[in-house]
Amino acid sequence: MKSSIVAIAAVMTTAIGVAGLTDGGFLRQDNKKLGSLTGESQGASAVSGIAGEGGRGAPQFTEVAQADRPSEEAKSPGKPQPVVDESALRYFAAKGDTARLQAEISRLRSLYPDWVPPADPLAVPRNTDVALETMWRLYSEGRYAEVRKAIAERQAKETAWQPPSDLLERLNVAEARARLVNASELKQYETVISAAASTPSLLTCSEVDVLWHVANAFAQTKRPERARDAYLYVLKNCENAPERLATVQKAAAVLPYATLQDLLAYERTSPEGVPEFESIRDDLARRFVAEGDEDKTLAVDPKYVQRVEKLAETGGTASDALLLGWYQLRRDNMSAAEQWFQRAHDKEDSASAAQGLALTLIARKAPAEAEAVLYRWRDSSPDALATYFAATANLLAIDPPLALDAAVLARIAAETTKAREPATAQQFGWYARALNQPATAAQWFATALRWKPDDEPSAYGLALSRDQLGDKDGVVEIQRLWSGRSERIARLGEVKEQLDEVNRVRAPIVEAQRAQPQATTRTTVVTEVVEQPVSQRPRVTGSAQKAVRTGAGCRTTINPAGMAPQAALARGWCLMDLNRPLEAAEAFEVALQASASQVREDAAYGQSLAYLRAGLTNKAAVSATKSTQNRGRADELQTAILADRAIAAFNAKRYREAILFLDQLGQISTRRQDLMVLRGYAYMNLKYHAEARRIFEALAATGNRDAMQGLAAVEASQEIWPNKN
Amino acid sequence: MRWRTALLAGLLALLMPLAAGADEQGGSVKAGEWDQYKARFLDSGGRIIDDANGNVSHSEGQGYGLLLAVLAENPADFALIWSFTRRELLLRDDGLAAWKWSPSETPHIIDINNATDGDILIAYALVLAGERWKRQDYSQAASRIARAILDNALLDHGGRTLLLPGVSGFGTTDRPDGPVVNPSYWIFEAFPALDRVAPSPRWKKLSDDGLALLNAVQSGPRKLPADWVSLRAMPKPAQGFPAEFGYNALRIPLYLARADMGGRELMARLREGMTGDNDALVLSDASTGAVEASLTDPGYRFVNHILACVLDRVPIPDRVKVFSPTQYYPSTLHLLGLSYVREKRPECL
Repeated sequence: MKSSIVAIAAVMTTAIGVAGLTDGGFLRQDNKKLGSLTGESQGASAVSGIAGEGGRGAPQFTEVAQADRPSEEAKSPGKPQPVVDESALRYFAAKGDTARLQAEISRLRSLYPDWVPPADPLAVPRNTDVALETMWRLYSEGRYAEVRKAIAERQAKETAWQPPSDLLERLNVAEARARLVNASELKQYETVISAAASTPSLLTCSEVDVLWHVANAFAQTKRPERARDAYLYVLKNCENAPERLATVQKAAAVLPYATLQDLLAYERTSPEGVPEFESIRDDLARRFVAEGDEDKTLAVDPKYVQRVEKLAETGGTASDALLLGWYQLRRDNMSAAEQWFQRAHDKEDSASAAQGLALTLIARKAPAEAEAVLYRWRDSSPDALATYFAATANLLAIDPPLALDAAVLARIAAETTKAREPATAQQFGWYARALNQPATAAQWFATALRWKPDDEPSAYGLALSRDQLGDKDGVVEIQRLWSGRSERIARLGEVKEQLDEVNRVRAPIVEAQRAQPQATTRTTVVTEVVEQPVSQRPRVTGSAQKAVRTGAGCRTTINPAGMAPQAALARGWCLMDLNRPLEAAEAFEVALQASASQVREDAAYGQSLAYLRAGLTNKAAVSATKSTQNRGRADELQTAILADRAIAAFNAKRYREAILFLDQLGQISTRRQDLMVLRGYAYMNLKYHAEARRIFEALAATGNRDAMQGLAAVEASQEIWPNKN
Repeated sequence: MRWRTALLAGLLALLMPLAAGADEQGGSVKAGEWDQYKARFLDSGGRIIDDANGNVSHSEGQGYGLLLAVLAENPADFALIWSFTRRELLLRDDGLAAWKWSPSETPHIIDINNATDGDILIAYALVLAGERWKRQDYSQAASRIARAILDNALLDHGGRTLLLPGVSGFGTTDRPDGPVVNPSYWIFEAFPALDRVAPSPRWKKLSDDGLALLNAVQSGPRKLPADWVSLRAMPKPAQGFPAEFGYNALRIPLYLARADMGGRELMARLREGMTGDNDALVLSDASTGAVEASLTDPGYRFVNHILACVLDRVPIPDRVKVFSPTQYYPSTLHLLGLSYVREKRPECL
C-alpha cells in the first residue's frame, strides 16, 4: 500500500485534481473526495456527511479543517513567494522512485501554480538536511512511530525547527490508516468510522480498501444506507476494474437485497457489450435467493430466481436446488418446494434437504415419509438432531392428530428419551391428550417437565390432564408451584367455569384409569383418529402456545365476522380453552356487537382476559372498558392488568413505575404475596433498603420463601465493606 | 525516644508541602537510567516489552513507558511510545485501550478488553506531557481517555465509586462474586491530573473510596489486600484468582507514597506484612499469610525501602540507588521509586 500512501497527500488540499497522471494506481477523482458519499460535491463536506449523522467524529472534522489551512495560506495572494518544500521530491528522486516522484510533482504543481518543477527530476540534488532525509526514509519504510520520535528529538535540539507540513500530513494520514485497519480487524467499528471522519483524505479511490473498511463498519453498525453510500462512491468514481468487482462482492456480503440493487445500477458495460459484474452474476443470484430463503416477504426479481433454477438444472448441484426449495417453501409454494428438495435430496442427501423435504411431505400429509427421510440424519450433527426433533414435534403436533405407525412412534419415543428432548416429549403429551389418553399425556408432560423444569406449556398440559383425570390435588399442586408464573395455570378452574356458563360440552374422559406407564419404554398406542378439516400449518419448532385439542367445535379456523354474537361468544370461550387467545379476542369482538347487554359484558370480559393471556396488557385495558362490568369482574380485570403492568415495569427496571402500579393495585384488591415480593425488590433496587426490608420481613414471617430470599438479598446488598454514608 | 522522632518525621513527611518537582535540568529519572531501561524494554517501534511474559506488550506497560519518558524529560521517546500506543492499542469503540498485544499473533491484539490501570497510566502520562511540553494534542487525547474511563470503567456500588479492572467481566452481574476490583489499579497520583483534563467530582470520590478500600481490605494474619478482591458482600479474595498478596498488590505502597497518601497506620500495616529478611518483598497467601515468594530484585525491594523511608526516614541503601535493569516490571517500579525519592524524599538519599 505504500505506493498509494504518497498519493494520499495530494488529496489533503482542496486543490484541483491531479491531471496528467497516467498511473492507474493513483487517484484521479480527488476533487470529488467523498462528497458524493453524501450527495454533496465538495470534499470538505464529505466528512461532515460521514461524521454528522453518526454523531461521532464531528469534532475531529473541525480539527482536520483547521489542519488544512496552512496549505491554503500558502497559496493565498497575501504571501509573496511561498517556499516550496522540495524535500519529499528530493527524497524520492534520490531513491529513484519515479512513480512517487511524479505524484509529488503533480501535487506541488497543484499547490503552487507558479512553481517550476526541475527539468530532470531525477537529477535534483539530494536533501542536504540529513536528519530530514532520515525522517523521509523512516516514513517510506512505514516506521511512523520513529518518525514521530525523530521529529521530537530534533525539536528538542533545535527549538525553532518545524517539520515540513507535508511530512506531518502524510504521517497523520498514514497513522490514521494503520489505526483504522487495526480497529476494523478488531471489529471496533466506531473507531473505524471516527478515524475515517477525522482523516477524510483517506477516503479516495487510491485507498479503496479503506473505503471497504469504512463501508463495512457502517454495515456492521446497522447503518446500511451509509454503507451503501461508501460502496457507491467506489462505483461512481473509481476506475480499477478488479476493485469495482470486489466492491460489489463485499457489499453483497453485508447489504440487503434492495440496497444492493442501488449498487448494481452503476454497473458498466464494456464496448463489447459485457456487463462488468457478469462473472459474479451467478453468485449474486444465489445470494439473493438465499436472502429470500430467510425473508419470505422479500420479492426477489424473477430473473435471479430463474438464473438459479437454470444453474440447478444444468450444473445440478444440490445446494442450488436447496436454495430454491427453501425459497419456495417460505412462499408456501409447497409442490415447487418439494420438487426442489426432492432433487437436492436425490443429488446429495443432507440434513437440510431432508428437513425441507420432510416439511413439504408434512404439508401434504405424508408425515411418515417425513419422519423416515429425517430419521437417518438424526445423529449426524446436533443440528440434524434438532431438525429431527422439530420434525417429530411437528409430526405429533399436526392437528388433527395423525395415525402414526406404532414402530415409528416407538422409535420417536426412544430418540426423545435418549436425547431427553422436552419439546417432543411435550408434543407426545398433547398427542396423547388429543387421543383422549390423559394418563399417558400426564406422564409425558411430567417427563418433559423433568427435562425442562421451566417448561410452562408442559406444566399447563399436566394440569389440564390431571384436571381431566379428576386429580384435584394434583392440579392444585401445579397451581401452587407455578403461582405468579403462569396466569393460564392459575386460571384453570375459572376457564372451566366459563365453559360451563356457555354450556360447552367437554369431551368425555375415556381413559380414566390412573396407571403410570414408564416413560422410557412407553409407546403411545393410536386407537382412533378423528378426521377433520385442517388449515393449520406445521410448526418448525415446538410451539409454546400449543393448542389443547379436545375434539370440540372451534378447532377449525374460520372468520368469526359473520357469526351471531351469541355464537361468537361461545366460540371465544372455546378458543380460550384451546389457549388461542388472539383468535378468541376476535370472536369476542364480534360478540361485542350484541344488543343484549349481558352478552356484551361477557364479551368485553372475555376479550380482556384473552388479551391478558396473550400478554397484550394495554389492549386488555381497552377491552375492559368496552362494556360495564360487575364489580367482581371489573376488579379481577383491573387487578390482572395492573399486576401485568407492574411486572412489566419491574422487568424494564422502571421500579418507581412498578411501585405506582402496585399502589393502585392496593386500592382495589387484597394484596397478592408475589406482588408484595415484587414491591420489596422494587424498593431494594431503588436502594430504599429500609422499606424493602420491612416488606420482606413481614412476608417472611408468614413463611413466604421468596420473601426470605428477598430479605437475604437486602442484607447482602447492604453488607458492602464499611459504608460511610 | 526513637519512636517519637520516627513519628515526628512521619508526620512531617505527611504535612510537608511537596511541590519540589523535578529539577529543570533533568528529569527525576536520569537520562542514563532511562537509556538503560529503554535499551532493555523499549523496542525501536515504540513498544514496551514485558520480557517476563512472553515479550507481549500491554496498555499498562505502554502507560509506564510514557510516564517514565515524561519523568526522564524525553519528549522524543514519549512521541515514539505514544505513536505505537495510539495506533496499536487505542482502538476500542469506547475510547479505551485494548490491553494485550502479542508480536506473534495476527491481529496483534489478543484481548480487546481493557485494563483500566493501563488506561489511567496512559491518560496520566499524556496530561503531564501535554502540560510540560505544551502539547495540545496530548492534552486532548488525555481528556478523551479520561472521559472514557469516567463513562465506562467506574462503578457505583454500595455508595462507593469503584474502579472496574476492565469494562467487561468484573461488574455486579458479570460474575457471582462481582463486583471484583484490583486495589493496585488505583493510581492515586493520576486522579487529580485526570480531573484537570476531564473535570468531575467522581475522581475525588474514586480516590477517597480507593483509600477507604485499602483501609478496609485486610486479609489474613498479615492484614494485606489480595490482588483481586470481591466486594459482593464483605471484601474477600475474588474467586478464580490466586488468593494472595501478589505481584499486583505489591506496588500499592509505591502508588500511595507517590501520591502522598496512605497515612501512617496503613503504610505501617503494609510494611509489616510485606517486608521480609534483608528487605525482601514477601508475597503471601491472603488467608494463611504463608510466604509464597520472597522477592529480592532491587526494584521490588525498593518498595520496602520507600516504606522505611516514609515511615522512619531510613536512608535508601546505596546498592539500590544505582539502577540496573533486570526485568520489565521490577525495573519499572525501581525507576518510579527512584524518581519519587529524588522528587519528594531527598532526605532519604
